[in-house]
Amino acid sequence: MNFGAMLTILRKDLAVGPRSPLLAWGLLLPILWTVLLQGVFGSLFDTRPRLGVVDEGTSALTEALMGSSDLDVRLVGDGETLLQLVRGHDLDAGLLLAPGFDESVRAGELPLLPLYVSGDSLASDRVLVSMTTLDLLRTVEGRTSPVTVSLVGAGEGPEQSLIERLLPLVVLVALLVAGMFIPAFSLVEERERNTLDALLATPARLADVLVAKAVLGFVLGLVVAVATLALNGALVGQPPALLASLLVGALMAAITGLLFGTLAKDSTTLFTLAKSINILLVAPVLFYLFPDWPQWIARIFPTYWFLDPIVAVTGRGAGLSEVGGHLLVALAWCVALALVVAFASRRLQGPRTAG
Amino acid sequence: MTVTAVSTTSQRKPAEAIVVDDVHFSYGKRPAVRGISFAVAPGEILGFLGPNGAGKSTTIKMLIGQYRPERGSIRVLGHDVVREREAVQSRLGVCFEEKNLYPTMSGVEHLRFFARLHGLREVDVDGLLGRVGLATRGRDRVAGYSKGMRQRLMIARALVNDPDVLVLDEPSDGLDPVSAQTIRGVIREQAEKGAAVILTTHDMWEADALSDRVAFINDGRIYAIDTPESLKLAHGKRSVRVRMRRNGEIEERVIEWSGESSAAALAEATSDGELVTVHTEEATLEAVFIEMTGRGLS
Repeated sequence: MNFGAMLTILRKDLAVGPRSPLLAWGLLLPILWTVLLQGVFGSLFDTRPRLGVVDEGTSALTEALMGSSDLDVRLVGDGETLLQLVRGHDLDAGLLLAPGFDESVRAGELPLLPLYVSGDSLASDRVLVSMTTLDLLRTVEGRTSPVTVSLVGAGEGPEQSLIERLLPLVVLVALLVAGMFIPAFSLVEERERNTLDALLATPARLADVLVAKAVLGFVLGLVVAVATLALNGALVGQPPALLASLLVGALMAAITGLLFGTLAKDSTTLFTLAKSINILLVAPVLFYLFPDWPQWIARIFPTYWFLDPIVAVTGRGAGLSEVGGHLLVALAWCVALALVVAFASRRLQGPRTAG
Repeated sequence: MTVTAVSTTSQRKPAEAIVVDDVHFSYGKRPAVRGISFAVAPGEILGFLGPNGAGKSTTIKMLIGQYRPERGSIRVLGHDVVREREAVQSRLGVCFEEKNLYPTMSGVEHLRFFARLHGLREVDVDGLLGRVGLATRGRDRVAGYSKGMRQRLMIARALVNDPDVLVLDEPSDGLDPVSAQTIRGVIREQAEKGAAVILTTHDMWEADALSDRVAFINDGRIYAIDTPESLKLAHGKRSVRVRMRRNGEIEERVIEWSGESSAAALAEATSDGELVTVHTEEATLEAVFIEMTGRGLS
């Protein structure tokens, strides 16, 4: 193998890739996907709305809010600062309690209670802040609430949280788009433009080209997967276990990308191939979304073997010893896929011999 | 003390830069090349002349190591192209028929990239671009290049490693006369520097003007290989076109030139009346090709 040629091709792909709209889209899609999910479902990991309170007197409401487990409450010095924090979305909402507020409530004077809401705050957070504040106001009146509101996440439990259900999808999209699609498309593009012939007319060999594309997918897949986890606040768990899981995931994505790029003769075939085969790669995600399904079926699919370790490490804090077995199976899949790539790639050099 | 000079493979300069010996290649059951043999010396330009589908590009692909011959052997600079591919590729410059460039890269980026693939760090990129007339457009992306500019950049790319063997597949196909002239000039320069050049073309005028020798290829076989002049002398028909004024009218006569009898015929044709014009007409390579292979070049 010509290591210098491989590095030269990799550098070219890293420099030129972002100039291609399709490849730039491939890098941005996982990030946009995360933003979209967060917009729809809210932040996956930080579910408590942040409320700022300016108490110019000594209101009982402040004390009650501070004791609430549903809100993340902090005291702010003055109204001006409170407004700035809300405007900058450092707080989801801000409450301004005037001096003598409690006395006015008890006297039945219906005092004004300004609640500032950040334009970027989630609708669910606004509802939660309003409901909790109104509920706690009864303590200022000296009355008890006729009901006790209990906030329960529907369908969520300690074993299957929303985090565990959506995270595999987010991570898999990141790995498949950046780690698999980009090297596959890059290889197909080299063939479509006949630039592969130009590369192979130099001392570079086909293996150098393939390894460069694989490293490209591996690096991009890893970077985008880490960025996606960080955006979701899910870059948690034991670092060695998380790193090992992501490395294996990026490796499998890159090798699968090479396989797609080798099999597809042009970009149309690549998209057709991706549409028909991607269901097999994405299938394990369905078993996280629908935990009632027989979970053993997920083990049929190769991506399960790195996806489950990522979920285990980020969701349950699993260590390397717990996920090691799964990762070894994933590595075995990688070896098998690499062998298929090696066999299929022979056709890239045209007919080697007659007939 | 005795000093013994040891000659290594890399130091030896082979008498022939390219030696193709009885190579065969088939696409499935369809034979594309059937026992082709030829050699090209350093500094020589060999034109491969033949119609589409004659086997030119397949021969080129075998020559640059992309296809493996079914039978026979190809040696470039003394190296077998199949077994010693890397040794061959490092001294080879190739210009493909297809415009295989990266549209989002500039001309400068192309030349630097391919120079690095050849293991070269320092290359006079501006000088190369200047040779092909792209000095002022080198920083522009290829997507904005005309067809002629792309072809010239491909020639510059083929020269980036200052090759000892230059392989050009239809180098001036479809170019405007100025671009074609520029490219021909660069090819001649490289041959004068000692490179063996093999070019395929179906433009018999280009082959005639550029090549030291031409090979006629058709149906996977070489029908003839020689200098254009020799081929025309050996196989072409020559003639003399005489126009005479007789009794106030112009009369034209074409005399096929084939020896002393032709000279007598010319003397007879010009003996009476006023000679207006005499034109000698030489056979074209295309005419020779048609005569030898029974088919045209296009």
